[in-house]
Amino acid sequence: MTKLGTIIRQEFKVAAANKTFIILTIIGPFLILAITVLPGLLSMNPKVSSGGGPVAVSGGDAAVQSALEAAIGTQGRKLVRLGEDDASRTQAKLDVGKGGLDALVVLDGDWMDQGGTIYTKTGTDAILFSLVEQSLGAVAREARIAKSGIDPALARELAREVKLSIVGVGKDASEKKGIEDAFMTTLFTAMGFVMLIYMTTILYGQLIGRSVVQEKVSKTVEVMLSSVSSRELMIGKILGLGLAGLLQYGVWAGMALVLSKLLAPALGIAAPAAVSLGNIAWLVVFFVLAFFLYAAGYAAIGAAAEDESHLGQLAWPLLIFLIIPLVMISSFVMNPNSTLSVLLSLFPMTSPIVMLIRVLVSPPPLWQLALCLGLLVATIYAMMAAAAKIFRVGILMTGKRTTLKEMMRWISAA
Amino acid sequence: MLSLENVIKSYETVRAVDGLSFEARPGEIFGLIGPNGAGKSTTIRMIMNVIAPDSGSIRFDGEPFSEALKDRIGYLPEERGLYRKVKVEDMLLYLAALKGMDREAARASARVWLERFDLADWKGRKIEELSKGMAQKLQFIGSVIHDPDLVLFDEPFSGLDPISQDLLLEAVLELKKRGKTVLFSTHVMEHAEKLCDRILLIRKGRELVSGSLAEVKAGHGQDAIQVEFDGDASFIGGLPFVAAARTYPRWLEVELREGTEADELFRALAGRVHVRRFEVMSPSLHSVFVRLVGDAAQVDGDAQGGVANGGKEASRD
Repeated sequence: MTKLGTIIRQEFKVAAANKTFIILTIIGPFLILAITVLPGLLSMNPKVSSGGGPVAVSGGDAAVQSALEAAIGTQGRKLVRLGEDDASRTQAKLDVGKGGLDALVVLDGDWMDQGGTIYTKTGTDAILFSLVEQSLGAVAREARIAKSGIDPALARELAREVKLSIVGVGKDASEKKGIEDAFMTTLFTAMGFVMLIYMTTILYGQLIGRSVVQEKVSKTVEVMLSSVSSRELMIGKILGLGLAGLLQYGVWAGMALVLSKLLAPALGIAAPAAVSLGNIAWLVVFFVLAFFLYAAGYAAIGAAAEDESHLGQLAWPLLIFLIIPLVMISSFVMNPNSTLSVLLSLFPMTSPIVMLIRVLVSPPPLWQLALCLGLLVATIYAMMAAAAKIFRVGILMTGKRTTLKEMMRWISAA
Repeated sequence: MLSLENVIKSYETVRAVDGLSFEARPGEIFGLIGPNGAGKSTTIRMIMNVIAPDSGSIRFDGEPFSEALKDRIGYLPEERGLYRKVKVEDMLLYLAALKGMDREAARASARVWLERFDLADWKGRKIEELSKGMAQKLQFIGSVIHDPDLVLFDEPFSGLDPISQDLLLEAVLELKKRGKTVLFSTHVMEHAEKLCDRILLIRKGRELVSGSLAEVKAGHGQDAIQVEFDGDASFIGGLPFVAAARTYPRWLEVELREGTEADELFRALAGRVHVRRFEVMSPSLHSVFVRLVGDAAQVDGDAQGGVANGGKEASRD
């Protein structure tokens, strides 16, 4: 075996026998389960997300109270009818504060004009609020129609809403119905895939950074360099850990396919269309590219870092580029072809994640895909070359906290 | 044969190695000695092709240094380090594989060496379980497991108990006997004195003196006389032919002025104290070192005798 091969094998062994590796390999499939089966499960049965505590109402007539009861009943909640006296209201507010009631709806005599009040502890249960608001509105509308003397049938006819059907269209103008849930399932899938890429890129990047720093801190680097060149050491570490990452992805991709093709149909659930063989292949491609890009960066800062905490500080500029696409993910899903999406899907530091989202939502123009891959490969090449220079100088440097500026100088000097 | 010719290496503000030339021959132990910061580690790193010299040439058996030559070199750095989580035998096999050794040969060699250093029972244990001394021995094995033709030992004896020191000493002498070139870097003069055939004393990257141990001592030291006695010898310092004296209640060491015979001192002592031992000694390498490095420091007006090299390079050579 060549020396490079020896290093790759050793680093692979160290990485794959690692606790984090095993844990992540086990947790990964659950994440995949979440993106393959859960969305289907959710859309099939909205009650999955329901189940809440009771809500009290004070005031209003029987009509509005039963409208309320029906509305919150869809969430599996019970309605508690209270008297209109101050004592019961005060007691109910206490119960809301303590958590015995989820909310208290207070309707005074003129609620149809002045509006009602809902008392809640958290103020975050937006679905409940809109259910209450809708049912109050419906009751008030009926009452106003009756009062105005307009024929109720006519009034309903006037207020009828226009229905919009959502139909997907393929390249060959083929129509695809029933994609109302597309946003949610695509978002779920994109979230799952992006989380995987994000987590593994950071994980493997940091593993490489730490592995390099430890080589310095434990003083093994001098012995290593008496046998191999610094370039062999760096590339050996990157490839060894990269193989471990690829193995993990292989396991996950296999699981995802088994789950979506076998388990989901068996349970009678449709797996999201986005979890396809082609998209999983793209996931692996973008992981490999993101891995090499960030691995080179982490190898360089690992060599320049004094110890692990210093490594953490130096890693910030890299992390920011990984976090940006993560926080903007829903905007990329909704607008995969906006200028911002296109720009960030071409910019190499963010493109692996952003382009993957675009591929999942709607296939981007071929030239953009080609440009993205071309830029990425070129950037990886440049990053590796720069990292090798930083690595060569940094790996033997001790007793000094290198700054990013100095690292830049090493790149231009050598 | 390892030969360096006019090797120069500068870091940003400091010339770490400044025109160094020497030869280390097969079957000889060559001592590279000097104070901290003299440029020893930089020199060794250049020999190993880890860093490149700015100018000058480094050759081994006439060949310029290359990555391929690394397989014929063994290196024991001063700051020891092994992978803590790796098992003893696996570590040795890994180091041997990186020297291009095939696995079976490496396994056999590892067995022999572990046996010899009394570590055979530990071969399946993780390195973090070893004591510091054991790890030192293991690291030594790692530097010679592939039977290198050139070995570089940086302070090989530090941190070892006397028994381990003897084991190591024996192994080093055996390498010499088998015609290996041994380069030995230290600032502990007693070790250099016991082991080295020839030495090169450097300071601030430059040669102060070189040659066989006898030549160096003859050229740069002065005989000293040690006396053990009973009585009061406080008058010694005042004698006209005494250049320097260190007097303790029952022991003294004297350097005489040039041209004075030891007899004269003996005569002066004989009547006044009871002499128990009187010995004319060649100077120790230690005193040569102190004298040469001290003199050089005085010329520079630098009392430390070392040089701060700005933290640019590992600051410990």
